Amino acid sequence: MLTHKPILVTLKRALVRLLAPAILAAGALSAQAAAPLKVGYSDWPGWVAWQVALDKGWFKEAGVDVKFEWFDYSASLDAFAAGKLDVVGVTNGDALVTGSGGGKSRIFLVTDYSAGNDQIIAKPGIKSIKDLKGKKIAVEEGLVDHLLVVTALKKAGLKASDVKFVNAKTNELPQVFTAPDIAAIGVWQPIASEAIKAVPGAKAIYTSADEPGLIYDTFAAQPGVAKARKEELKKFIKVWDRVVAYIKDPATRPDALKIMAARSGVSPQEYEVFVNGTHLLNSEDAKKVFTKGPGLDSLYGSTENVNKFNVANKVYPKAENVDAYLDPSFALGK
Amino acid sequence: MNAFLKRFGLGTGLQGNRHLMLLASFLLPILIWAAVSYLPFIWHPKVLVEAAGGVDYFQTGMLVDKAEFADQAAQMREQGLALPQGRPANPIYLPAPHEVARAFYTAFTTAPEQRGAPWLHESLWHSIQIIFWGFVLSSIVGVPLGILAGTYATLARLTEPFIEFFRYLPAPAFGALAVAILGIYDGPKIAIIVIGTFFQQVLIIANTTRKLDATIIEAARTLGTRGARLITRVVLPGILPDLYRDQRILLGWAWTYLIVAELIGTSSGITFFITQQARYQHFDNVYAAIIIIGIIGFGSDLLLAALGRKLFPWDLAQKRG
Repeated sequence: MLTHKPILVTLKRALVRLLAPAILAAGALSAQAAAPLKVGYSDWPGWVAWQVALDKGWFKEAGVDVKFEWFDYSASLDAFAAGKLDVVGVTNGDALVTGSGGGKSRIFLVTDYSAGNDQIIAKPGIKSIKDLKGKKIAVEEGLVDHLLVVTALKKAGLKASDVKFVNAKTNELPQVFTAPDIAAIGVWQPIASEAIKAVPGAKAIYTSADEPGLIYDTFAAQPGVAKARKEELKKFIKVWDRVVAYIKDPATRPDALKIMAARSGVSPQEYEVFVNGTHLLNSEDAKKVFTKGPGLDSLYGSTENVNKFNVANKVYPKAENVDAYLDPSFALGK
Repeated sequence: MNAFLKRFGLGTGLQGNRHLMLLASFLLPILIWAAVSYLPFIWHPKVLVEAAGGVDYFQTGMLVDKAEFADQAAQMREQGLALPQGRPANPIYLPAPHEVARAFYTAFTTAPEQRGAPWLHESLWHSIQIIFWGFVLSSIVGVPLGILAGTYATLARLTEPFIEFFRYLPAPAFGALAVAILGIYDGPKIAIIVIGTFFQQVLIIANTTRKLDATIIEAARTLGTRGARLITRVVLPGILPDLYRDQRILLGWAWTYLIVAELIGTSSGITFFITQQARYQHFDNVYAAIIIIGIIGFGSDLLLAALGRKLFPWDLAQKRG
């Protein structure tokens, strides 16, 4: 009998804990304008860059109330698709994949394109993509570096069927690469560096620097948020410009690297390599990127390209309408 | 140490031996680990390059296969170039005990690099809370349901087939659904622990309840005990020590779901530390964190075992467990 009271108290607290998020969510709906912009971001140099603004309190200065939440990349897309985030960091290709399942979004900001961070790494003796004919290449199928490999093959005059793809989890690719029958892997940083260390003599024979604009890293908003909270998102973009300037300025770059490296849990020296493989874009660059065009220098061309790739690889059954995902009104000021 | 062990009934009389065994059971694996780490002839399949010599692609600090290193050294000798220098090493995935010990120490003593980021002990505390609430919520429903299903065959036939089915389903697969319903913070994480624990819990406790001597229930019924009184006065006191031990095992079970649970929603707790460090291949930190989880789990179980002996002095199995 003595135990009754504590159990009841515990029960009550547990219930409060369980119900609290629901109550908060209900409250947030009724007072949406007052709620902070909920942003999900993950471990990619172009997104870790926001840490600079967060540490320096630049959002407050810009008068925009944001709440950044750190996620594992795929978990952040799940949370966005479930409507629990207003804004999420996502590649243009993955925005389509998430959207094909119902989690539509509007890309309003392009943070960067990968310029070397995505790599095709080959065993010693393989000097170019052409040498890969008839060999086995390990990638995580359907993800960006599968696209990089297919694009590189096409450029070298090979077809996807000229090589044999082996599907493996991105995190395990360094170990897979040590297997004798695997000739090359397609993988991004920091895993790419580890893979090169794992197989002596291995080199990156092709990187996203050879294919600028193949993969754009962006921030996408819920379609309703892109419309209703436009002023806040505009301020959000202003803060981004400040971040890019801070990272690019040689005087402040070391400080920026230090902040970003701390977020990822590595040393600034280690992190600089990854930042160098990322081509950051400010709102001046964004004007060009958001202009319609068939090439990879346009977000439209790039997204259409990955759209085709996704359909060809049966990531989703039929092509998505790319225009519905891109919101050029922020970059072009229309 | 002695006083500590004595407190847990491990240091007295006949049990002196146990105390030694406890020590030995930990010492043996640690010795094997140390041997593999420090005695190069046991394993050490790699060579850590200390000077590249004439080999164009070698770098200091690079791990190379033994055969590869020998091959390159032979080539350099033929060409009359400087020989590469190196020493035998294990793969990066297996750090040595002293490296892990150092990581263990620095993890608790250095402030997090990032301003406002949680200290390791704060992350740990967060993880412990997730486990606690997951386990409590699961138990609130699971324990009564298990006891009832174990007492009344009709209820067992109604609930157990589905529970048997559901317990095979992978709890983490419900992550996205949990996020959609419970949000991105602790809610979905607790839900995964509950899903992972609850179904096993009902079945195990129902089985324990069934093991209660049927003649006791028979006698109680003959004497007119029914319904709630049968449960609270006969069944519950009869199974309580076993129930307690089941709960101890189930709590350990809940811990195994922690890592997958914490990957859902925002990154938090000890899992954030482990996955982030693993991504950058800092395996000394990863192993330190794994060992911390082991210590907390084993430590809390020791405490609960000691508590069990105090609570149920008549139950001999507690003394052994």
